[in-house]
Amino acid sequence: MNDDLVIIVTAGLAATACGLLGPFLVLRRAALLSDAVSHAVLPGIVATWLLFQTRAPLAVIIGGAVFAVLCVLAIDGLRSTGLVRSDAAIGLVFPLLFALGVLGVTRYASGIHLDLDSTIYGEIAFAPFDVWNVAGIEVARSVAIIGTIAALNLVFVVLAWKELKATTFDPGFAQTIGLRPQLLSRVMLIAVAITAVTAFESVGAILVVTLLIVPGATAYLLTDRLALMVALAVGIGWLSAVAGYWGAVAGDSSIAGTMGLVCALCFALALLVSPKYGLVATALRRRRRSAATATALAAER
Amino acid sequence: MGWLIDLIPLSYTDAVVVIGAAILGLTSGVLGSFAVLRERSLVGDAIAHAALPGVCIAFLLTGAKDAGSLIVGAAFAGIAAAVLMVAIEHTSRIRPDAAIGVVLSCFFSLGIVLLTYIASQNDASQAGLEKYLFGQAAGLLERDLVVMAALAGASLLVVVAGFRILKVALFDSDFAASLGLPVRILDIAMTLLLVVAVVIGVRMVGAILMVAMLISPVVAARQLTHRLRTLLPLAGVLGAAIGIAGALLATGSELPTGPVVVVVGFCVALAAVLFSPGRGALWRARHVAAERRRAAFEGVLLEVETAMHAGPPPTTEELRLATGRPRAQLATTLRSLERAGLLDRDGAEHRLRLTEAGAAAAHELEQRRDLWAAWLEHGSSLDLPDAREPDPRDVRASLGDDAADRLQELATT
Repeated sequence: MNDDLVIIVTAGLAATACGLLGPFLVLRRAALLSDAVSHAVLPGIVATWLLFQTRAPLAVIIGGAVFAVLCVLAIDGLRSTGLVRSDAAIGLVFPLLFALGVLGVTRYASGIHLDLDSTIYGEIAFAPFDVWNVAGIEVARSVAIIGTIAALNLVFVVLAWKELKATTFDPGFAQTIGLRPQLLSRVMLIAVAITAVTAFESVGAILVVTLLIVPGATAYLLTDRLALMVALAVGIGWLSAVAGYWGAVAGDSSIAGTMGLVCALCFALALLVSPKYGLVATALRRRRRSAATATALAAER
Repeated sequence: MGWLIDLIPLSYTDAVVVIGAAILGLTSGVLGSFAVLRERSLVGDAIAHAALPGVCIAFLLTGAKDAGSLIVGAAFAGIAAAVLMVAIEHTSRIRPDAAIGVVLSCFFSLGIVLLTYIASQNDASQAGLEKYLFGQAAGLLERDLVVMAALAGASLLVVVAGFRILKVALFDSDFAASLGLPVRILDIAMTLLLVVAVVIGVRMVGAILMVAMLISPVVAARQLTHRLRTLLPLAGVLGAAIGIAGALLATGSELPTGPVVVVVGFCVALAAVLFSPGRGALWRARHVAAERRRAAFEGVLLEVETAMHAGPPPTTEELRLATGRPRAQLATTLRSLERAGLLDRDGAEHRLRLTEAGAAAAHELEQRRDLWAAWLEHGSSLDLPDAREPDPRDVRASLGDDAADRLQELATT
């Protein structure tokens, strides 16, 4: 594979993995979980360093994933008391984990250089340089890892589709028909945490946060059907991967940043011209309705 | 500020940090209440991230890393982000959390693109621009305290002066709009105050601390009161207390202030969520357990009575088979019935038998249940002045003897 293709495929697969889960986060009002996870991995990195004195990618991913899962479970636990809303729960937990990470660094690891940028927050531009040899074929490591995660997410979402749908829209109903909304929501949050941590390492934190939120929110503006929403989210992710890459090459700019900007552009477009919920459509509808009311009133008189 | 610093028995730098943390806690507790109650808790996070493109643009325009202009740039970007966020929320079906997330990631992406652009200009003075935003509490100066105190005073003044309007707009914005209040302008004004607080706070203590300071005092205060009038001052006081405690702990153990304050804030909020009287998670769990025990106690009492009427006094095993209760629950309940003197065990087989007091208790319980059943059937024909539902555990006490007697009459005829 040539380098351009590796980068685009890596980003596209990350978009797939995120796009499969993002719509559920948006619908469950937990969109900012992705940002929380991106901060909560810090103590994982520090703990991995303190315990095993290593910065090897796999060890760091596992350490980060442990704390990411801890973070989402703590948020879910706080939220399920019914005393704290999910946004406040997110904002309570991730600063704590980040603060613990910072304290760990200053207390025990200030001598070494634990640079976040070089350990877990990868840079997508370097994706083609790290190659694995699988059965005689050379595969970029990032493509292999993100591809696996995307496939796992696909399996999860397809297998648990009905249950995810029921628990997302009507947890009470799901509970009465014997599904377990709490358990399923936890499994989904764990999937989000693991997806995010693995993707950080290949494509960088901000791109993952963007891909988990923006395509899902854009799709939410475009459709009312869940299946279409997930498909649209994945599609918008791929679009931004391809367009963002060429844009970045043309403008000699940051790849992750440009992909994020393409996502933003898609969102802005959907906000303006979505056939049902767009600003233009709403304004037209409103005008037509007030005209109809005016004529009806005139006729009555 | 000098006199206040002299008043505190700490070294000059420590005293400045403690006062700074207290003022920041007070302001963010009060302003954070408005964010948390609108499900916009993480607005601070978005504003902190949005500062990056603002700093970049300010640098591109002025060509220098001057503190003043960079902060102004950050503030403008924060305002733009906040206005966009409110606009997305008001004009579309996107909910606050997703609106915050979209704004956050878009602004940060833009910031990264701008950073790479600046880096490609080969200008050595740009190094460390992205780190510029994230300050250290230890680097606080007396001059910063004055700025913070002025900001705190201004925002408290706005909140006190506009309390009633803000309250209506907060809890029922449609009603507020129908009264002719400028709801959107109010919303934007409150968000702007928040932006200024966040931008200054982030510069001094870091983005993550700012996010936490806006949330933890409010969550803690919210567990302790239902009234906005008490919530706001309580959140402010808690915020200041968290700031002071965190700053003192940090100086005592030579740790960075920001993270320690975050940890203290989390502990306070968690303690409130767990232990708040009448509402906290542990309190409620205890309450539910007591109710369960009571229900089992009364249930088993009646079941023993029924079994005794049907035949010979049952053994524990027979009772278990007849009622289908879990073994452990039945055993503990029987023990507490025995301890209350309501139950005896007879003979070699330990057959269960109600004592005289037990029979009387069972009889009274049955009467109470019958009364509840009578209420369900005939309650509507009583025509009581008080429309409230009586306590099902004791209908007589909550309705009064008069009404209870009439109910009994209705039920027997």
